[in-house]
Amino acid sequence: MLFYSYFKTLVGKQVTVELKNDLAITGTLHSVDQYLNIKLNNVHVVNEQKYPHMMSVRNCFIRGSVVRYVQLPPGSVDVELLHDATRREARG
Amino acid sequence: MGTNVGLAPMVDSTISVITNDGRVIVGILRGYDQATNLILDECHERVYSSKTGVEQVVLGGLHIVRGDNIAVVGEVDDEIDQGLNLSATRAAPLSPVQH
Amino acid sequence: MTEEDATVKEPLDLIKLSLDERIYVKLRGDRELRGRLHAYDQHLNMILGEVEETITTIEIDDETYEEIIKTNKRAVPFLFVRGDGVILVSPPLRQ
Repeated sequence: MLFYSYFKTLVGKQVTVELKNDLAITGTLHSVDQYLNIKLNNVHVVNEQKYPHMMSVRNCFIRGSVVRYVQLPPGSVDVELLHDATRREARG
Repeated sequence: MGTNVGLAPMVDSTISVITNDGRVIVGILRGYDQATNLILDECHERVYSSKTGVEQVVLGGLHIVRGDNIAVVGEVDDEIDQGLNLSATRAAPLSPVQH
Repeated sequence: MTEEDATVKEPLDLIKLSLDERIYVKLRGDRELRGRLHAYDQHLNMILGEVEETITTIEIDDETYEEIIKTNKRAVPFLFVRGDGVILVSPPLRQ
């Protein structure tokens, strides 16, 4: 539940989701669920020249299972909070 | 348990589905479940090629797409979509998802 | 650190000791990450900071059929990594 809870604190922030098909999508985090499925608003694909496949899409749902990375906005990562949450979770 | 990231707002509107094998399927979302299984109506596939423009292949009627094979579900903005010049769009097909 | 925290009984205990340390992560698809571990869970989902990603690709020369190994590096400030792509995690790098 750690990352589900954490991603909920990033709602409204801009993130870049990199998928396992090498597509990278930037947008405003709209919501996340327990599978870490992600919904983004106002999206654009990184390198739209090469990947014009989503040109008419502004809002999208990304299945958690196809996510490789999420680039997080540096200004809104509280590392102390993450350390504490991780220690709490590790204790079970 | 918990909330599923809602596909609810997309029901009865045009969506574009990117499948794990790299295909792009456009259709009207009629239903979905927890596992992201989708019911799609009036589908067509958009086949991208770096040599020719986008080819639209009619798939017709109702289809169920299994959630495990879905990467992205995009809400299609009809206005932008109608403005696209697909026959002049050249791009390699998307790579398959590699888990 | 309490004694309870310091004992290593299972693999994840070793990762617990790496919190806030720089670690090495090997991923599927010939990708490697070096970065500071800020969070993880039982799936090995992670958040890393000051990340350097290295992607290795092998190209075959058209004429000589020689294998050309190329590495691409990039830096990312903060990265969430989905655990299903993780092959191995190494504790703090000793420089």
